Amino acid sequence: MTTINTSTSAFYDRSMQGIASLRAEAEGLQASMASGQKLTRSSDDPVAASRLRQLSHADSLSTINTANADRATTDLSLTDSALSSFAGYVTRVKELATQAANGTLTAAQRSGIGTEIAAIRGNVLALANSRDAAGHALFGGETAGAAYQTDALGNASYIGTASVSDLPLGDGQTVSRGLTGPEFMNFSVNGNPTDLLAVLKGLSDDLLGGAANPQGSARAALDVLDQGLDAVSTAQTIIGTRLAWIDLTTERRTSLGEMRSTEEASVGGTDLAATVARLQETMTVLEASQASFTRLAGLSLFDMLH
Amino acid sequence: MASDLLSIARSGTMAARIALDVTAQNIANAGTEGYVRRTARMAEVSSSGGICRIGDVSLSGVRLDKVVRNADLFRQSEVRRTGADAARADSEVTGLENIEAAVEQSRVYPAMVDFDGSLQRLAGDPTDASLRAGVMEAARTMAGTFNIAAQSLNSAASGMQFEATAGVAEVNTLTGELARVNLRLSRAADASSDQSSLLDQRDSLLQQISAYADVTTSFSADGTVALRLGGTNGQDVVLGGSATPLAMTTASDGTLSFDVGGNGITLTGGSLAGKQQALVKLADVRTRLDAVADGLMNTVNTAQTGGSDVYGNPGLPLFSGSGAGGMSLAFSDGSGLATAPAGSGPGSRNPGNLDALGTALGAADPTGRMDALIFDISGTVASRKVTKEALTTIASGAKISLEAQAGVDLDQEAVNLMRFQQAFQASGKAMQVASTLFDTLLNLR
Repeated sequence: MTTINTSTSAFYDRSMQGIASLRAEAEGLQASMASGQKLTRSSDDPVAASRLRQLSHADSLSTINTANADRATTDLSLTDSALSSFAGYVTRVKELATQAANGTLTAAQRSGIGTEIAAIRGNVLALANSRDAAGHALFGGETAGAAYQTDALGNASYIGTASVSDLPLGDGQTVSRGLTGPEFMNFSVNGNPTDLLAVLKGLSDDLLGGAANPQGSARAALDVLDQGLDAVSTAQTIIGTRLAWIDLTTERRTSLGEMRSTEEASVGGTDLAATVARLQETMTVLEASQASFTRLAGLSLFDMLH
Repeated sequence: MASDLLSIARSGTMAARIALDVTAQNIANAGTEGYVRRTARMAEVSSSGGICRIGDVSLSGVRLDKVVRNADLFRQSEVRRTGADAARADSEVTGLENIEAAVEQSRVYPAMVDFDGSLQRLAGDPTDASLRAGVMEAARTMAGTFNIAAQSLNSAASGMQFEATAGVAEVNTLTGELARVNLRLSRAADASSDQSSLLDQRDSLLQQISAYADVTTSFSADGTVALRLGGTNGQDVVLGGSATPLAMTTASDGTLSFDVGGNGITLTGGSLAGKQQALVKLADVRTRLDAVADGLMNTVNTAQTGGSDVYGNPGLPLFSGSGAGGMSLAFSDGSGLATAPAGSGPGSRNPGNLDALGTALGAADPTGRMDALIFDISGTVASRKVTKEALTTIASGAKISLEAQAGVDLDQEAVNLMRFQQAFQASGKAMQVASTLFDTLLNLR
């Protein structure tokens, strides 16, 4: 006998497979809605998963770059305000030098001015040795200790390193996080290198009676101080440019971050509307196949034959 | 020999009884795995007239000719073949998914990203003790996740090897059983119900074996089967009443090989083949994971020894050990990180060597290699899943088509039940007629 019949077990197997696969699909859709993620494991979509890994790598480095940029901004702002103070001190010394250059002043008055300039020099030295946000020498480059030291005669000398380290800002961009003391304290007069602290010390020493002609020294110092002020304001311009550079890279990082999160959402996120619609479709088919299964399974000849 | 209405009717009732028994047996086994629907084939019993008795009516009723098993050999072999393919794909995908989980869920990639990030953060202030501690902790976490990944791979491998060992033992039990069935089949009477159930057993055993390995079968006239593993060029495992055990060897890299009586065979189907393929992939992944770990340790250690630490001493290697499983920290104090170039003084904030490390890591790109490794595994899993789904669909299609042909249809059995009941009743009626005729003759006066 070779009739092709549909055996009962084949009918149940087929129905079971159909309903089970629909159920599995509905559950998968539900899971992706609940987690908000399209992918539960990399093998769901290897390319998207790899892209998501790279995006999260970039994201986590970007967070650190932001922290580094903040750190650089803080240091540069501290440098900027210190430079403003330097400029103020130099301006004040210039006023005092102008007074001292006046021939009507007595020697005692000049030596009083000399004392004041000596005090200002002390402030300038302290400022040159000030600390950054992390407690390191602000103008000492990469040194571990102070930027300037004073010898027995009161002469200050720079003991920091020659350059300041660069901070990475991401995507290969860097910024120099500050200035070394010599970069704005040292300048040259008529081709002779000198530095602000030496100039101030020389002037105060001269006014305090170290020179035969203090009035002349004061007059000569005026030009030199102008040069010093120039050096300080040039340094301020540099700092301003660096701060603007950080702003620029921060803006760029922010917009890149936005692009990344948009891509993350489109690559790995669930499209709720589409998923709900597909779930509804699956559920409709599932319910229909369940209903038809119940009716077909209830169809037995044994109930009819008596 | 003359006809005998009573004995004809008796043979009719007996035949109907047998047909009813067969129908009831079919109904009872409607849900039995491996049961093939039976039909009772009847044959007329009659004799031609002998010498001088030409023209005699000589009818003797009906007899059971054969209990037919409605098994289609082609569909059965299709079920075995496609079932073996599906089982292979299924066990390979399961193994690959374990490998994927081992590498991905150990979170070794995020840990590597964190280590990268901690180095970049340290560039913000190379002498800061807390940032240095951060790098050390990130390095420790990374080493830990590498260890976890290696351990997970090992346990995935030993799990698969264990299952393969159990599978081989199961195959040997089944082939032993098949050899015994062969012995009994060669002694069973033709078309007996005993033979039918032995044939059911034989087919069920073959199907079970095909879930573990691809089988090649050749059937003899008496229903016995010769079973061969590893394709047509493979080795005989069951030949008549004797079975040769299948054996498995595990190589040092965890991969498997199979042999029958010392002769190596190549399995292409069944879960054993799937495990074998997954373990080959696992060995490859383990080698590449070790290579990533070694490359990373080498890059970091080379950079370390080329710089000087926070005290101005020459840097020492940060990592010790080899391979993902052996990766560990050589020191735990953050001050040992050589951020400054060689020859720098104590407490130097010069990040020269840290930058060099960053450049070296960028060139060696261990995170990129790790990403490529995960991509490779997950890509393999994804493509194998597609294959698996196709093979599973084909296998279940073949199974359903066999069931449709060989399985029990309850509606048809219900009809048969009615039909044979009526046949029984009709034969009973014939007996009654015989009795009435006899009575008529007796009552003649």
